[in-house]
Amino acid sequence: MTAAPKKTVLIVLRHSPYGSGLAKAALDAALASAAFDQAVDLLFIGDGVLQLQPDQDSTSLGIKNMGRRLASLPLYDIDHVYVDAQAAARYNMDLSKAPLHTRQLDDHEIHQLMVCYDHLLGF
Amino acid sequence: MIYSLLVLSSPFSGHCSRSAAQFAHCVIARGHTIHRIFFLDAGTLASAASSVSAQDEDTSLRSWSELAGQHGVDLAICITSALKHGMLDQVEADRHERPCATINPLFTVSGLGQLVDACASSDRLITFGG
Amino acid sequence: MDCVNIIAKDDALVLMGDGVYAALADTDASKALQDTDAKLYVMAADALAAGVKNLAVAVSCIDMDGLVALTETFPRQQAWY
Repeated sequence: MTAAPKKTVLIVLRHSPYGSGLAKAALDAALASAAFDQAVDLLFIGDGVLQLQPDQDSTSLGIKNMGRRLASLPLYDIDHVYVDAQAAARYNMDLSKAPLHTRQLDDHEIHQLMVCYDHLLGF
Repeated sequence: MIYSLLVLSSPFSGHCSRSAAQFAHCVIARGHTIHRIFFLDAGTLASAASSVSAQDEDTSLRSWSELAGQHGVDLAICITSALKHGMLDQVEADRHERPCATINPLFTVSGLGQLVDACASSDRLITFGG
Repeated sequence: MDCVNIIAKDDALVLMGDGVYAALADTDASKALQDTDAKLYVMAADALAAGVKNLAVAVSCIDMDGLVALTETFPRQQAWY
């Protein structure tokens, strides 16, 4: 690949892990970015926070465990992961048990975060 | 300015995919450049070569074809999503022992690296989803 | 509709596809959008197709050319579908 100027990218995940192909597409895009040495950060908002549900086991669905795939992201130097605190509270989630270490943001902080990046990749 | 588009929506559900093609035409008409249009997930169905629409309905394939044919726009479809949706070029059809290619040859089967490159090379990245 | 929590005064919101129904005057949706103080737009062709004529006062109609013009002004876009 050519050495294009680097841009900062925030991947915004808004959908549940198994309800559509979007969560997987987002994760694939994050891993591809890491593979090409383009740093990305992740933001889970709305129903997207459900991807961080602990103890996922998709064995009987015959598809990959999204929680386990998320847990591997730090290996690819994807370390900045942000979560919509209000949505996590709505689902009564215990983020201390989530597959990833996350930072919780309120709505105002989410807005402030989004304007920091060159591009938003929304899934 | 340099634009790239990410198309996630199926051309067979709603008209978001068609809006994306119209948007691309307008981007060019306003004097900008389109670096790449990347199709991911159900968006890859836009490349379906053999889809037949009702006679009184526009097909978005024609709109996409014009972008590639007249303006040389790079129409890249994600290989993982494409294979899953049955969208194969001749190389993939041969490799996976399928009877024929199913994508319009104006589309290029490529990897997610092309989306990463599109982000890095463009001033604007516009997503059409849902 | 959870986007209303995040958008703010300096943002622009474009309603397209089924999103155009949120432009209907005197509905909870359009009131919530107006309360954000963001600039509100609706895609004219989508609103026409949906029969959405009774637009909330704060919503302006744009065409595809207008949408591209907005992306020239605003450096980043978040799709909400």
